[in-house]
Amino acid sequence: MSVATDTHCPYCALQCAMTLTPKTADAVTADPPLTVSGRSFPTNRGGLCKKGWTASTLLERDDRLRTPLVRDAHGDLVPSEWSAVLDLLANRIRTLQSESGPDSIGVFGGGGLTNEKAYQLGKFARIALGTSRIDYNGRFCMSSAAAAANRAFGIDRGLPFPLTDLDAAKTVLMLGSNVAETMPPFLSHLTGVREAGGLIVVDPRRSATARLTEEGQGLHLAPAPGTDLELLLGLAHVVIAEGLHDLTSIEERTAGFEELRRSVSAWWPARVQQVTGVPVGVLRDVARRLASGAETFILTGRGVEQHVNGTDTTTAAINLALILGLPTRPGSGYGTLTGQGNGQGGREHGQKCDQLPGYTKITDPGARAHVAKVWGVRPEDIPGPGLPAVELLASIGEPDGIRALLVHGSNPVISAPDAGAVRERLRRLELLVVCDFFLSDTAAMADIVLPVTQWAEEEGTMTNLEGRVIRRRRATEPPDGVRSELWVFSELAGRLDAPGHFDVDPAAVFDELARASEGGIADYSGLSHRLLDDEREAYWPYPRGTEGTPRPLLDGYRHPDGRARIVAVRVGPRAETTPTGEELTLVTGRLLEHYQSGVQTRRVSELMAARPFLEVTMHPSTAADRGLRDGDHAVLENSRGTVTARVATSASIRPDTLFMPFHFAGEHSANLLTIDAVDPISAMPEFKTAIVRVRSAAAR
Amino acid sequence: MSAEVRRFRVVVVGFGPVGARLCEELLPGIQAGRIDLTVIGAEKDAPYNRVLVAEMAVDRADAASITLHDPKESASAGAHVRLGTRVIGIDRVRRLVELSTGERVPYDRLVLATGARANVPTLVGVDRPSFDLVSLSTMGTGAMGVDPLLPNGVTVLRDLADAERIRAAVRERARIIVLGAGVLGLEFALLAADAGAKVAVVHHGPTPMPRSLDRGSGIVLAQALRARNVAVYAHSSAEAVAFRTKSDGTRTFDALVTAEGGYVRGDLLVMSCGVGARAELATVAGLRTAAGILVDEHLRSWTDENIFAIGDCAHVVEHTEETAGQTRLPGAPSGLIGPGWRQAEWLSQRLLAEAAGTELPVPAPPERHAVVMLKADEIDVVAVGDVGADIWDTPAPDEPSPHRHVAQWADPEHGRYLKMITRDGILDAFVSVGMPRTGAELTLLYNRRGELPADRSQLLRMDGADDSAMTDEDAFAPASTVCWCNGVTVQHVASSVAEGNRTVACLGRDTRAGTGCGGCKPRLAELIERFASTEKAPSA
Repeated sequence: MSVATDTHCPYCALQCAMTLTPKTADAVTADPPLTVSGRSFPTNRGGLCKKGWTASTLLERDDRLRTPLVRDAHGDLVPSEWSAVLDLLANRIRTLQSESGPDSIGVFGGGGLTNEKAYQLGKFARIALGTSRIDYNGRFCMSSAAAAANRAFGIDRGLPFPLTDLDAAKTVLMLGSNVAETMPPFLSHLTGVREAGGLIVVDPRRSATARLTEEGQGLHLAPAPGTDLELLLGLAHVVIAEGLHDLTSIEERTAGFEELRRSVSAWWPARVQQVTGVPVGVLRDVARRLASGAETFILTGRGVEQHVNGTDTTTAAINLALILGLPTRPGSGYGTLTGQGNGQGGREHGQKCDQLPGYTKITDPGARAHVAKVWGVRPEDIPGPGLPAVELLASIGEPDGIRALLVHGSNPVISAPDAGAVRERLRRLELLVVCDFFLSDTAAMADIVLPVTQWAEEEGTMTNLEGRVIRRRRATEPPDGVRSELWVFSELAGRLDAPGHFDVDPAAVFDELARASEGGIADYSGLSHRLLDDEREAYWPYPRGTEGTPRPLLDGYRHPDGRARIVAVRVGPRAETTPTGEELTLVTGRLLEHYQSGVQTRRVSELMAARPFLEVTMHPSTAADRGLRDGDHAVLENSRGTVTARVATSASIRPDTLFMPFHFAGEHSANLLTIDAVDPISAMPEFKTAIVRVRSAAAR
Repeated sequence: MSAEVRRFRVVVVGFGPVGARLCEELLPGIQAGRIDLTVIGAEKDAPYNRVLVAEMAVDRADAASITLHDPKESASAGAHVRLGTRVIGIDRVRRLVELSTGERVPYDRLVLATGARANVPTLVGVDRPSFDLVSLSTMGTGAMGVDPLLPNGVTVLRDLADAERIRAAVRERARIIVLGAGVLGLEFALLAADAGAKVAVVHHGPTPMPRSLDRGSGIVLAQALRARNVAVYAHSSAEAVAFRTKSDGTRTFDALVTAEGGYVRGDLLVMSCGVGARAELATVAGLRTAAGILVDEHLRSWTDENIFAIGDCAHVVEHTEETAGQTRLPGAPSGLIGPGWRQAEWLSQRLLAEAAGTELPVPAPPERHAVVMLKADEIDVVAVGDVGADIWDTPAPDEPSPHRHVAQWADPEHGRYLKMITRDGILDAFVSVGMPRTGAELTLLYNRRGELPADRSQLLRMDGADDSAMTDEDAFAPASTVCWCNGVTVQHVASSVAEGNRTVACLGRDTRAGTGCGGCKPRLAELIERFASTEKAPSA
């Protein structure tokens, strides 16, 4: 192949368009095999961040997995041969299942898998393994936003509008999202709102995104960590008390307003100030600005969603949007900013424990019958709902728990909360199988490791943060010995005598996905690889015979009566008691230079040069009070774990708050300190309010 | 029928915010068939948020937006809800309450959530009822739960009817005199002045909010009040009310007369002189009362173990032999809704446990002093605890450590004042005026008993224009980052320009600067111009 290939970035949900060009014969040997260049596209407008520019350096790294690995009698992972490994794996699965039933095998997917792989993984689990025990790492990112949007709107499409709609916004309320670091090319869509002085960022840190509000371009609110719900209830209170709500929209398009009005009556501004630290005057200003009637958006991110009350907090943001009439007003709206590359598509096609393709419920008899027909099985052959991620991992080693786990596109050893406990659990597995392209931290614990293709080596589709379905295209051949996961599923299904057919061609798998999703919320039935190859703007729902739906909420909400549900939410107990005395709150998050558990980005020298090790961001006065200065090493500890990190002092963080990224491995994993408490509705873990104590590493 | 277990009968007297919260929390017990709940409220309206009554009086809120609870919800869940009905007596021996309708309702547990009523001060010209046992027995049951009738043009500010009266005066931009300089009175005064009324505050101390503020903060606040067109008459002891006769022959308020000889004329007198517990039912029933109905840490009456009290009518004091013998007991009802709601939540847990026969909850820890906030547009006062300590006070020789330490900042010209009193770095008390963010953050630190930064001046800067900090960063320092998306520094740009890349596009191809979000392109152009024109790399 010598021609340039148009595809998209391997990393986040912005899925920046890029072109990959094979290096020329006279290029330096050390150059990566493919040269990356930004490509004009409505979302990234030709821009790429550092991660995208350097993505192709991972294709030919020496430590790339090129052969299956099996743990031998000495406990070492040794190279093996595909057919032998697959035979071994199938036998182990059969043995475990004959002893403990199909649910003894767990499957853990990822939000970075293509739609085709995510779909096939769900199908493989349900009818080849016959297990209900499948869930995925999206449970750690999007589950609260998804639950809230489904409950309110009857549909969860992250942004129910094209990103370019933001260009004309006069006000954008951005809650718990640091796009300036997590998806920098997104910022071009905030230029207009900043010029209008209307970017309002809510974050306990003065993050790079919060700094975009400086010089009259907007407002930064820094509530105490874990008080976003109270802040949102207070904003709704002011809107209603000052009569700023859109009564017509509320009466014609929603249900539940009276309960909301009563519930927020208890959250008058002074009380909200006492809990959040956000002054009353600021609260009123924000409420008035949101209600100004101009183009207004409310956007949420993980900062407000990754909490034990994440679904309710997101619901409170949605309620605010609903009483202002934003979701159905052209040029305005509510949305959540999906994080992982295929975080949107990954949550639609059956990796979730309670879900079948097309975003249908696994308990819905109609959906089961439809999908069973596509799969060529009887409806009763499809298992019922399984366990969400944290519960799934916690079932290891328990009676009726899973004995084996198959991991695809995920690294839970680093990304799951209370990572120390997760490592302990994984050690108790009798069989851990990991598909990856590098020896990730989870793969390093595995009994069997299977080398699979990277983004530039495969065909498929991704669904970006707008719900736009895009093509991922192959630009180079994978190394010898590396296989596609579709091939692995097909081979294993054959060895397990699975019913149905497991295609290996991504286009064919997509066609099957399209059929399976027909009639569902996320209906892809009108789409195919061929159709997507003309670069059309394909927003789901895209039922057969239609042109897709860029703005699904403008035609009304997706509940049977067409009304959105305003769900009055209450403030409940926290994951841990509030910090007191010298205790501090640890917020985890991301850096511009790294992605997720860092397995890829920690292997890119340019990125590592910029962010080589774990740092904890701390207010200078907080540091000084503990005898710490910038560059010293601090020990953070609580009952779950201990992490040592280099101190980076910054007046941009609240004195009662610490920030650490979760991209680093081993003893530098921030998730050694987070708690596995979960949201009762979404099963989303609490990542943002771990209580820790800090001391100097020097003074013991 | 015989198999049915008798349900645990709970009767709640009072359907204000606290009583309503208790009901909501008890609904699961009703649905589980364990509790039979009757709730009786004297007001006809659904429970509403009293904190917002002042806003209603100036048309900043309406009845719908201050409603907290829909009685229909409790009723449809199976509670017996009686609104507009007074309880006129408690028969503790037979365990029943007697209603104004003549009905009797039996109980296993009785909860008094009767709240408080606004105090009427001693003023010649205004009748001031007493609620001691002797007066109550002469007034008879007709007085139970009833508020005194005030003369025309004189009102308190407590319920919807009061708000209605005041609203008429505010709409007419009348002259309104507020008697008392507590938080409620001042908040209302500011709201009414904003709404165009001519407002005067009359109070007897030297500075406003004497119970919460020290002299410095009081002076700064008084200045702020005057700047907002609220006349303030300090050192004025109200003594009498004078009336005039209107053209229609009715007699109405004319002026407030002070002991100092002042004669403050107005159209409406709003008395804001604190509140007192509505404890008359308890008093007549023989329950011991002090500043309210005396209850122990289980919120149970000192006198009758089947009776509980919560909210503004309840005075929590540990019941020991020692306290039982005292005539003056410490503390008082907080008068705030937050502690009342916490009591309602705790008591519901206890009653649910009693009904289910499960383990009773342990008592909640005692409430700390409640943070007092005066909130008005552009005026921010937050205070808690005893802020009287002087910055130069030294601890008495016998005072146990940790000692109190005071840190203070005063800038009366700009309306700012801050005093923080700590022990071991933890706030004991503070007051903040004119510094909204600081006041808010100190509230969090106080409530969480969080340690203050040793550099206390940190807390002063939160309201500063340079809150963004880091503004001192030299935009042209070599290590300063220009393109965040790609981590390109000034030094990188300078080198690239030196190599001949003289356009933003060339620079982008060479260094990737500007190839992410593109936000730095204007700065790149500026740097190109700077480095190209001077051919000068930045000094390292």
